[in-house]
Amino acid sequence: MALDLTQFDRFKVTFQKGDQIFCEYEPGDAFYLIQTGRVQIVKIIGEIEKMVDILQPGEIFGEMAILEEAPRSASAIALGKVEVLEFNKKNFEILMRGNPQIAMKLLMTFIKRIYDQKRRFMILTLPDPQSKVADVFLMLYETQAVQQQSEAKITEDVVIDASPEDISHWCGLSIAECRQVITYFTAQRKLETRNNQFVIKNINDLQRLVNSRRKKEQL
Amino acid sequence: MPQALKYKAKSIIYFEGDISDKIFILQSGKVSLISTDIETGKENRELVKTGEFFGVKSSLGKYPREETADVILDSVVLIFTVSEFEKLIYTNPRITIQMLKVFSNQLRRIHKQVGNLLSEEEQVDQEKGLFGIGEYYFKNQKFKQALYAFRRYLTYYPAGILQAKATEYLVSIEKCPPGKTPAVSSGPAPSSSSGPASSVASLSALSAAVKEEGESTTSVYYDGMTLFSKENYEEAINCFRQYVSANPDGEYVVKALTDIGKALYLLKKNDECIKHFTSMIQKFPKSSELGDFLLHLGLSHEAKGDKAKAESFFKKVIDISEEGSETKRKAKAKLKALGGA
Repeated sequence: MALDLTQFDRFKVTFQKGDQIFCEYEPGDAFYLIQTGRVQIVKIIGEIEKMVDILQPGEIFGEMAILEEAPRSASAIALGKVEVLEFNKKNFEILMRGNPQIAMKLLMTFIKRIYDQKRRFMILTLPDPQSKVADVFLMLYETQAVQQQSEAKITEDVVIDASPEDISHWCGLSIAECRQVITYFTAQRKLETRNNQFVIKNINDLQRLVNSRRKKEQL
Repeated sequence: MPQALKYKAKSIIYFEGDISDKIFILQSGKVSLISTDIETGKENRELVKTGEFFGVKSSLGKYPREETADVILDSVVLIFTVSEFEKLIYTNPRITIQMLKVFSNQLRRIHKQVGNLLSEEEQVDQEKGLFGIGEYYFKNQKFKQALYAFRRYLTYYPAGILQAKATEYLVSIEKCPPGKTPAVSSGPAPSSSSGPASSVASLSALSAAVKEEGESTTSVYYDGMTLFSKENYEEAINCFRQYVSANPDGEYVVKALTDIGKALYLLKKNDECIKHFTSMIQKFPKSSELGDFLLHLGLSHEAKGDKAKAESFFKKVIDISEEGSETKRKAKAKLKALGGA
């Protein structure tokens, strides 16, 4: 269903390519709904700028600022010309009343983020690099399965779009460590790599690996 | 229409791992949600309150159920499909807001748990963190980003410990001609023993040089802020005036003019301050700083001993300022101290 947002034009803010929408650590007091353009979410960890996400029109970001003015946990930068609607605590209720579809969207955003973080927590608490990396693959597979639920047939090969950087981001290991595990899995014929794609030969095999390590940990 | 269904004690509404699109409200009885704590691996039991929703996240997000819903006493639950639930919240924004509050708390909690696992060192103090972002972008020659971070730093921490250093970075980016790489002294941030005075001097020298070139930059405004934070109000006023006359339409004109007024008040030049802000109100009646103008009019009248006028200005501040704003808080405190309502 298309959202009629003309009534919110007074909240519209435009950013040009490369503009910083907000910056990590700065107090947050607003959240945004992208109308046109794309927004890059980045985080500086140590000496590297990590890409956390690229957001599309219709997506919401900065939503943690809805209820409390906590510092931003990442920076948002306009990838091109970007038009966003900017909402804060004050006009938030007007928004909820005036446009329940956005309210629903917000709920969904929170649900997805909570789930992602929980899943990430599960990955991080695994005891060794192998099961961590394996679990990242499982998680990426689960996400894909939710998105493409119509074609839920289980083929032998599972193709996953991701780079070693993505894997490293999710499991908290360095890119070098991740590559090591990937090489090991490849040697064991559990995995094949293509350009920014991984082909998993037997997803159940990875699942068994993760399950066994997780159990051991909880005993 | 949502369906009401009775469950007997000791029955299960759903199991952890089930996939379903049903959302529930407990109408009467007693239901407990059993989940596994992700930190300890132990079993968690949580009672559902009457009137409370459960099964929302997994249904809407199409995830497997994260808990088992265990019926303790005979209960009646209302069952919604996702589309019935959507209809319900479209007509009841209160429910959505309530739910968002719960979710936002959960998200913050899990964020923290993940953060703890990733590394302790990531928990940088907010002020240093913001400055660090600016420095990172500066080193990587992303000056637009660096500029943003340093400006934010100076907005939030005008008297912060890294203020002089941030100003120095800012000036060096802003005065750098396009195509060249700005640079700052590579030494450590000036320490309190020798640093600030010399750094201010060098900044003034920089801005003087810039002026000679006939360029209008904002560096002199930042000089003013530096001097202001060092309580050198006379000099600060000079810088702000320089900035305003060089950039009559500049981005920071209202801010600079506001700071001039504040400096006048702090210099106890109450009559000048009153004159200054009175004319500001006429010039910028719609400024977002209006509350600040009025507050300082009140403060100056108070300092002159004119209680009645001071009170009336503080009341105006309270009328026009946003709930929870610093200005409003100050005005309220002042009014209270004066014995007003």
